[in-house]
This record gives sequence, C-alpha cells and structure tokens, in this order.
Amino acid sequence: MATANPITDNTQAAENAAADVLVLVTPMAPEHFKGVLANLGSAFSSGSFVVATQNELPADIPSSVRIVATPQSSAAWALKPIDFVNAAQYGRVHGAKAFLILGPEADSLSPLALRSLADAVLSASIDLAVPHYSLPSHAGLVNSAILYPLTRAAFASRVRFPLSIDLCMSPRMAERLAGVASAVSPASQADALLWPVNEAVAAGFVTDEVDVGSRAMPQPSDPDVNSILALITGSLFADIEAKAALWQRPRRPPLVRRPMVEVDLSDGTADVARMVAAFKLANANLQEIWSLVLPPNSLLALRRCSTLDPVAFSMPDGLWARIVYDFLVAYRLRTINRGHLLGALIPLYLAWVAGHINVMASGIPAERHIEAVAAAFEVDKPYLVARWRWPDRFNS
Amino acid sequence: MKKIASATDPLWYKDAIIYELHVRAFSDLNGDGIGDFPGLLTKLDYLQDLGVTCIWLLPFFPSPLRDDGYDISNYVDVNPSYGTLNDFKAFLGAAHQHNMQVMIELVVNHTSDQHPWFKAARLAPPGSPQRDMYVWSDNDQRYKDARIIFTDTEKSNWTWDDTAKAYYWHRFFSYQPDLNYDNPLVIEEVLKAMRFWLDMEVDGLRMDAIPYLCERDGTSCENLPETHAVVRRLRAAIDSDYANRLILAEANQWPADVRPYFGDGDECHMAFHFPLMPRIYMALRQEDRLPITDIMAQTPPIPDLCQWGLFLRNHDELTLEMVTEDERDYMYFAYSADPRMRVNVGIRRRLAPLVDNNRRRIELLNSLLLSFPGTPILYYGDEIGMGDNIYLGDRNGVRTPMQWSSDRNAGFSKCDPARLYLPVVMDPIYGYPVVNVEAQLSDQSSLLHWMRNMIALRKLFQVFGRGTLTFLNPSNRKILAYLRELDQGDGFRQTVLCVANLSRFAQPVTLDLANYADHEPVEMLGYVRFPTITRDPYVLTLAPYSFLWLELQAASVVEEMPAA
Repeated sequence: MATANPITDNTQAAENAAADVLVLVTPMAPEHFKGVLANLGSAFSSGSFVVATQNELPADIPSSVRIVATPQSSAAWALKPIDFVNAAQYGRVHGAKAFLILGPEADSLSPLALRSLADAVLSASIDLAVPHYSLPSHAGLVNSAILYPLTRAAFASRVRFPLSIDLCMSPRMAERLAGVASAVSPASQADALLWPVNEAVAAGFVTDEVDVGSRAMPQPSDPDVNSILALITGSLFADIEAKAALWQRPRRPPLVRRPMVEVDLSDGTADVARMVAAFKLANANLQEIWSLVLPPNSLLALRRCSTLDPVAFSMPDGLWARIVYDFLVAYRLRTINRGHLLGALIPLYLAWVAGHINVMASGIPAERHIEAVAAAFEVDKPYLVARWRWPDRFNS
Repeated sequence: MKKIASATDPLWYKDAIIYELHVRAFSDLNGDGIGDFPGLLTKLDYLQDLGVTCIWLLPFFPSPLRDDGYDISNYVDVNPSYGTLNDFKAFLGAAHQHNMQVMIELVVNHTSDQHPWFKAARLAPPGSPQRDMYVWSDNDQRYKDARIIFTDTEKSNWTWDDTAKAYYWHRFFSYQPDLNYDNPLVIEEVLKAMRFWLDMEVDGLRMDAIPYLCERDGTSCENLPETHAVVRRLRAAIDSDYANRLILAEANQWPADVRPYFGDGDECHMAFHFPLMPRIYMALRQEDRLPITDIMAQTPPIPDLCQWGLFLRNHDELTLEMVTEDERDYMYFAYSADPRMRVNVGIRRRLAPLVDNNRRRIELLNSLLLSFPGTPILYYGDEIGMGDNIYLGDRNGVRTPMQWSSDRNAGFSKCDPARLYLPVVMDPIYGYPVVNVEAQLSDQSSLLHWMRNMIALRKLFQVFGRGTLTFLNPSNRKILAYLRELDQGDGFRQTVLCVANLSRFAQPVTLDLANYADHEPVEMLGYVRFPTITRDPYVLTLAPYSFLWLELQAASVVEEMPAA
C-alpha cells in the first residue's frame, strides 16, 4: 500500500500549475508507477501534464513530471468512484483540457497509447476516449460475454471495453462522472463501479475508442470468479435499470466499426470439461431457480445443451442473449434475492465460456464469435424491451 | 436560502403518479380499528412497488370527524386516532426515503365549529378581529346568489348561532363555518399553518374548496377576484421561502373558471380537471368520444409550469356539478340505478362497481388516465378493483378499509371486527376474500400487476406528463385517437399515438397520419412493430374496449435498428 511522501519542491511547484492534461494514476506497485511516469514523460512535453497520485514518489522522478498528492484510498483492480472525484477536482484546479485516468499496471501502456488517448480528447473533441485493448483470447471473458454485448445493445455503443481500467475524458465528462461518483454512498464506495460509456450516452456526449495495443490487466486480490461476476454484472444491471427510459429510446448505433484484432490464442489452456461439468450440475440442481427466471424455450434449450459432450459443447448466441436479458429483467423485478440470482447466472456463464473456447478451437477467431454474440444481443433487443415493459411470465 | 423538501426537480409534479389515501383507511398497526401513520409506514414498500411517486393524504388533523376530517379543529397537529406528530414525521421521512413526495390537505375555506377560533368568535363582540375570523350576518339574505353545495343535507348557506346571536356563513355543512378572508388575521393564521407543515418538508398542499374563499353580494360567491388575490398571496409566501413545493387547487368548476387558478404561473401549480372525469364515463357508456373531445376543446391552455390533475374517482361522490341537466340525468340512469348510490349532486361508487367490474373497461379507463395530458391521481384500492358499500352513510361507502389479504378484517387490522371504523367490504364479488392485495400480488394476470406495469411504462416516457395533445378525428366516433408529442430538447422527439375503442364491440378505424409518413409505429407494451405509415389512411382494428399506445419512431433511426 503506497504512502504519500512529503511534498517536494517539484510537487509544490505543481500544486497550482496549469496543464493541458491531468493524469490521475491509481494506486499501484512502485515499479509499475515508475514505469508509468517514464512513459508519461515520453508521451507528453514537459509542462503539459500534471500527475495526481497517492503513490509513493520514486527517488528519481523525471524532471519533466509535475506531481500532486491525492488523498489515500485502497488499491483496486477497477476504477473506483473516488478516482473520478479526484480526477475532476485536480483537473479543475489545473485547468486541464483532458483528464487521463490510468489504472493499476498502466506501465504496460506505451507512450504512444497514452498520447493517443489524450489526443482524442484534446484534438478530436471526444468527450470520452476509451482504450481498445489487444488482449489474449481467454482474457476479459466477462466483458466479452456480458458487458460488451449488453452495453452495445442497450446503449448502441460499440465500445469493446465499457469497463476499461484506463480512459481519457473532457472536462464536462469528468464533471459528470465526478457528480455520479459523489452520489455513491460511503458504505458502497468500496464495491461501487461507474459506467462511463453509459453515462456518456446518457449525457449525449461523444465517445470513441483508441487502439492502445496490449496491456497487463490487474487481477483482483481475491480472484473468485463467482464474486467478481456477481459484482460486475450486478453493477451493470443496476445501471441499466436506472437508465431504463434512456436505452428504450430507438437509437442508431455508431457507424464506425473497429477492425477485428487477431490475438495469439496460445495463452494457456482452459478446462472446458470442468466448466461443462459445472453447468450440467447446475442444470440438475438449479432448475427451480432458473424456471423462475427463464421461459420454457430457454430451459428446453439448456436441457439440450446439457446432453452435449465437452468437446462438442456450444451455447447458441441467441440463447445466451435471452438468458442475459431474462436475468436482467429478473434482477429488476427482484424475482429472487439478487445475490442468489447472480449466483445462478454463473454456471450459465461458464457454459458460454466453454462454448466460446470450443468455437475458437474450431478455428474461428475469438473476436468474430464475440461480434456474433453482440449482434445476437442487438437483434433481440425488442425481446428485452417487451419483457421489461410487460414482465408477464406467461411467455414462450 | 429556500427550503427544499424531497423533490429536486421543480417540475416533479408533471411526472408524478399521485396516490390518494386516507390514513384511517389504509393500515391499522395499534389494533384499535382505525388506520394510523405507523401502519401506513409499513405499506410504503407496496406503494413504491406499485410505482407511486407522491402520496396525497386526506385530512388527518384533530377534528370532531363529522365530515371525515374536513372539519378541522386544529391545523397544526395530528388526530390522536392516527398517531402523533412524531409518527407523521417518521412517515414523512420514510416516504422521502422511498423517493415519494407527500401532499397534505390545506382545508382553509372553513373550520370545524369546534375550532378554538370559532368558539372564540361566537363569544367575541361583533366587529372585533376575533369575531371577524368568520362571516357573520344579522339575517340570512346576504349572498343570495350563492348555490347550496350539499343539497342533501343543507337548506341554506346560513345557520343561526344562538350564542353569537347572528347567522354565520358556511358553503358546506352547517358545522363547517367559513373563514373570513377579508380579515387579515385569517390570512396570517393560514400562513402560519402552511409554514408549519412546509417547514417539516411536506412537498405539496391541496387547497380544498378554493373557489369559495371570498364572498360578495350580487355574485355567485365563487371564483371572485378577491379569492384569486388570496391564492396569489399564499403562493407568494411559499415561493419566497420554499423550493420545489406544490399547490393543487380543488376547484370544481368549468375549465374556463379553473384556468384563473393557475394565474400567470403565480397561483396554483396544479388543478383538478373535474369536468373531464364524468365525461369519460359518459363517453364509455355512450360509446362516443364526443363528451371527452368536447370538454377538452373547452379546456384553455395553461402556463407551461402548470399541470392538470386527472382522476377517475376519489374520496367524494363522482360529482355531476359540472355537467348539464340532461347529462346529469343520463349519468344517474347509466351509473346509479339504485337511488342509494346517489348523494348530493353525484354518485358515490368506486371505479370497479361503476363499470360492472368489467376488467376491460377498468383497463381502458386507466389507459386514458395514464395517457391524457396531466398528472394521474389514483384512488386507494382502485388498483385492485375494490368495491364499495352503498349502505353506508354519506360518502363512506367509498372509504372502507383497504383490502390487503383474505385474513380477518382484510388484513387491515387485527382488532375485533366490530371495532373497525367502517366495515370491510364483504359481498361475493368485491369482498376482501376475493379482492385483496395479497392474492393479486401472486396472480401475474391480476389488475394490480397490470396497473404496476402500465404505471412503469408511463414513467418511462416523459411525453405523457409533459407533452402536447392533438386529437385525431376519425369518422368512427367510437374511437378516441390522439397524439402526444414532446421535444426533449436533446434532439430527441417523443411521439406517441394513443387509440382507444370505447365500444363493447370490435371497431375498425382509419387514421390520417400523413404528417408522419415513413414513421414506424411500435406498440409500446410488447414492443411490436406495426406497418410503416404512408400518406394513405392508416387502418387499425381494435378489440372491444381495447387501446393501443404506439410510439412513432422516425424512419432514419428505425432503418438502423435490428428487426424484431
């Protein structure tokens, strides 16, 4: 846990200095922080940026880097509300035109990537520049399975990583997110997540993606997929519920399409058999809960899936879309305790992952499959809207 | 700095769903047979789940209860039968935490004859400020042109008081003497009472019987300029010290006479649209939209910050004051075959019995309530189709205990049934074993679920509370069709076409929608796409008593949207 050094002459000079870019660097290990500072020094000209951070200052700070200390907060694997509050506050003080937030292990982002994020806001009048990471095919699967397709269908946003660990904002975007962050109760601060892309759509702001290449993704201290999935999915479901009047408007998706990025598949093996076994066990034991949430056709389709061998296992894209939509509706209706509900989604998610891995093993690029899944979510959005407005369970 | 209550949007009342209830009728926690504030507090989850955003409380102040609390003997306390002031504060805080505003009554046209002001006035010398808190006369000949409102019980607007040795003026019951607004002391006291509750963070005040505040000889004593001056004074006092509050006018008048109660945005924020309500029932029974379109044509525009309050039923009789004699007779024939159903100039029945408990009619009327321009006001119990008891006196038949379950006393109270403030409804059709919240919560096809879904749908679209209204006039008069439109100021325009079949038989209709050519109607409940509109007449067929809400989506957006 980083502790703040006494403020040096360097930082005293930075206290109120103007800067084009305010860079908020979240808590990270010292070696990573040092790397971030070096990359920032390479990316931006001296005097054009200020770093706001609580990280311990390295002994040999590049002279071009001006640093101000932020209040202490605990390290996390995702951006926290306090990060947005701090970014807006310090950016305001320094008259910044771009607010760059860098999450843990951001030293893996190249200077070019950092510069590109800032330029999107400074030069292209983008309000929210979101990184497009090049990740191994087995990384970020919760995002691929749920976050991306759901935000794309609901908010007509093609941002591939809606819960990115880094982003760059315009002043008005920063203020908006700081406002949202400030509304989070103190008791919820530790687990709360903000959804910048959704907020940008709600505000009518301009969003764009920036290719940043590969990035090391921070891992949570407790890598329990159950709790992580429940936290992230529950947070997104809650945000979608709050913005119901917005995403039910007819909305034209942005025309810009990112090229598919082919990434090396060989990042280790995944235990498909274990995931399929978990799904089959749940299919036997969770029928009572699933039947409260899913319509007969979906339950029947899942039963068919449960008869497949791990090697041949797959989950149809349309089925997965409906499952997520029905869980979203059940979340809103509080059909059952929300914690139990999200827990019941996990084996279904594992089933999707197993199917996704099998698709890749068959030679189909991961991104192509993910795009197909996202398209299935888009096609079936009317189903979500209809179920949302008329949650009668006497449906097919 | 102005004191804010719970609402952050100054125009919160335009998007509100108001629920009218009587504390004594809702839930009894202490087992004395009378509903109370602690009991009401336990039901806030239910109301929030229903979609209610504002609770309107009928009078809960100390009162001899000869007019169900509208005869007030103390403006700044709570009737002990309903709890204490602290109980009210606890309820108010909890309602705010449930994201609900609270509106209370400001019954300032008259007090109870048991109010200390009146007791003092009777004894005070004529001409003294205490005496002049009320309107006195040596004879009963003044204000002869003022009509009698409670025709069933009162023969005159004057009553002789033996102690005062004079007549006192009352537009309502004789035990409700009218306050004298020509006396500055009256306004001072009314302002004090108002501030007492507003300081507590009450969000709204319903001004009961507002047209009758002032009297002048040679007039009807209704809607006088002096009355409007009083209202402006009260509004100014609120605006200077409080933010985001609401005054709702109860002015049972023709639309043109209600319009002045909005002023230039400097009188009341809202007013009930009384004349529309009976005409909805007329239109339904006659299977003809004319009564509705006619009264809406007579409804003048109101200031942008103001709003109509719409309702199907309330705690009073279904008033037939603002209809013609023929229309009144028709309504009596149509909706109150039994003379016991009539009281004063109205019909004392609830919504469901009025329409013979026909589910389709109930849904149709609620679809109008939720889609017409204004803020809908639901009467407690109508969301589950509660019945009434016409054998109870006055308007008590529509004020029976809320029916929560099939348990003893409908789950309203655990007391000895004989102790209930009024008996629960127990006939075979509307009785509490059949019609209750618990049963309907577990029945997905219930009226309660339907109401909840419709309210939720309405809340998704600001056009219903803030948009314009344009009637389409198809040749088939059994069809009521209208457009609601709203420019949301962010480049997005909401356009909703509402089509209602007032007939018990299926009906065809062709609509001229040429102005919306190339728009695609999307049925809003099931998100079903209908054929794209062209310059040709648009043909629809509607089932008996059915309605359609169609969002007209522009083609430029639709062509990019995925197909259903």
